[in-house]
Amino acid sequence: MIQLAKTLHADVLVAGGGIGGLCAAIAAAEGGARVILLEKADTRRSGSGATGNDHFACYYPPQHGDDMEVIVRELLDSMLGPFHDAALSRRFLKESIGMVERWHSWGINMKPFGDEYKFMGHAFPDRPRIFLKYDGHNQKAALTKQAVKSGVTILNHLPVVELLRNDDGVCGVLALDVSTPEPAFVTALAPRVILATGSASRLYSPAGTPGWLFNTAFCPACTGAAQAQAWRIGARLVNMEFPNRHAGPKFFARAGKSTWIGVYRYPDGEQLGPFVSRATREVGDITCDVWNSSFSDLIMNGRGPAYLDCSATSAEDLAFMREGMISEGLTGLLDYMDAHGIDPARHAVEFMQYEPHLIGRGLEIDIDGQTSVPGLYAAGDMVGNVRADIAGAAVYGWIAGRHAAGGLPGGTPATPDAGVVRRHQEFYSSFLRRPGGASWKEANMGLQQIMNDYAAAGPHRVRSASLLTAGLAYMRTLRRNAEEHLSAANAHELLRVVETLDLMDNGEAVMHAALERKESRGMHLRSDFTFTNPLLADKFLTIRREEGGAVIKEWRRRMN
Amino acid sequence: MPPVIDAGKCSRCGLCAAICPLGVFEQTERKTVPAVRYGEECWHCNACRLDCPSGAITLRIPLNYQLLHTDASQLHR
Repeated sequence: MIQLAKTLHADVLVAGGGIGGLCAAIAAAEGGARVILLEKADTRRSGSGATGNDHFACYYPPQHGDDMEVIVRELLDSMLGPFHDAALSRRFLKESIGMVERWHSWGINMKPFGDEYKFMGHAFPDRPRIFLKYDGHNQKAALTKQAVKSGVTILNHLPVVELLRNDDGVCGVLALDVSTPEPAFVTALAPRVILATGSASRLYSPAGTPGWLFNTAFCPACTGAAQAQAWRIGARLVNMEFPNRHAGPKFFARAGKSTWIGVYRYPDGEQLGPFVSRATREVGDITCDVWNSSFSDLIMNGRGPAYLDCSATSAEDLAFMREGMISEGLTGLLDYMDAHGIDPARHAVEFMQYEPHLIGRGLEIDIDGQTSVPGLYAAGDMVGNVRADIAGAAVYGWIAGRHAAGGLPGGTPATPDAGVVRRHQEFYSSFLRRPGGASWKEANMGLQQIMNDYAAAGPHRVRSASLLTAGLAYMRTLRRNAEEHLSAANAHELLRVVETLDLMDNGEAVMHAALERKESRGMHLRSDFTFTNPLLADKFLTIRREEGGAVIKEWRRRMN
Repeated sequence: MPPVIDAGKCSRCGLCAAICPLGVFEQTERKTVPAVRYGEECWHCNACRLDCPSGAITLRIPLNYQLLHTDASQLHR
């Protein structure tokens, strides 16, 4: 069996050192807690914000006026908006400028244009702009430095693989040391755990390059770990049935579509959308935020491909766009374009809709960032009832960290059931160097095949009770085979096995929720319920798994 | 596969192996040139290229990631 290297103790544990995790850890440490952050890779360059970002959703009264409701509406109408408990959106917006000021003081340039904050892009013409334009190329290094300065203990290459709980709530984690080829377990005990492991990529085949599992817009190391681990200890997930599909250049999958300043066109030059005829740094073409399926529609109806055309953009705005792409972390793409002579002033680039991934669907949190399991918090892309991407992760990470550090319980720290911990250790150890075993890639691709066909996302693809029911049965078979046959040669491969099993939990949760929502809404298209039911417009579907395995589905009103 | 290390320029510091979000590199012994062990798992985030202190790393983007494009003038005929 893989050895247990050590047991650590803290007041607050943070799982994941992306934007949300680092901000949560800093807040908890500044609140006086002993904080340990456990990170899968290295916090200086991990997660979907690894190499940068350039827009931060924010309410700033000097720019937006004193009526925050105008900005609440703008956020809820944006591509980030459909599935929010608005009470959380308001809390996020109220605290957003404070976070911006902290980031600026920590060395992330939130005012790259001089003394004032500038709001640009991702907006309808003549409507308020809610995205602060910033230069986030060094954001991970700066946040890491601040976390260390605040007293956070950062443990890199130590991903959390299981959450530990007792009757009172969460009490620790089991983590896997992958810093050397020989893996080891570490247990960490604390009365507060903050989950911040990001979205779930690699759940569906990459739409552009099926079979190339790591060609994803968001970080492919984000594999729904928190959603799966929390599901396994009974936490509530919400909005899991709604697919989210990002869009961007084809076939090189990359986020940051709105950093491009151009107009979407059909091959004959006609514009896709009615919003702008010439894009500027202030107002770009928001067509694909509104007509989310446009690029897929144009392929399916034969009128495509759809191009993003920047050739009419001014030279000054093209230079500005290039700077923005560096801030956004798109230097890999820029290097490629430079090497291949692709110049946005002369070339229109085809755009496509990427495969579904989970962002803004996942753990249900309350106004303080706490999940339905006492002591367990969540922040960032894996939260299912408020979403604001980088800004959401930062601000809600901060809220969760501060709350977790307040009111820590006194007395003897709770300990998990030793038998449960041992069973987890035996389970994960069983994959190591199993003779004649199967590769994690087989299981990950098998999972994607099932999700593609039996939990498909729109447009042009449907779900139904019979397809989803079959998909759940196929997934059970795949999981059984995976648990029996997967083999890992070293710590790196064992981590991929763990990720694949976590993704299976995510896939099952998606299918259970999709079965329960008996209507079509967004990209959740049911062939057996083709209509949108107005009675479900303000209803959120939560799901959780009981200890015996029963899946509990509950409806509730959206919080205003 | 995707990251390519120029062994002549590499200072053998191991920073690329430490910071890669996908664990693509493996440096089994300190002060050696890291091996690109899991190239197919590269996300092409460019962290290694950006952070390498000796400019020894480039990314080789796979052929099938071809960035599809056309002459913009074709759209304005």
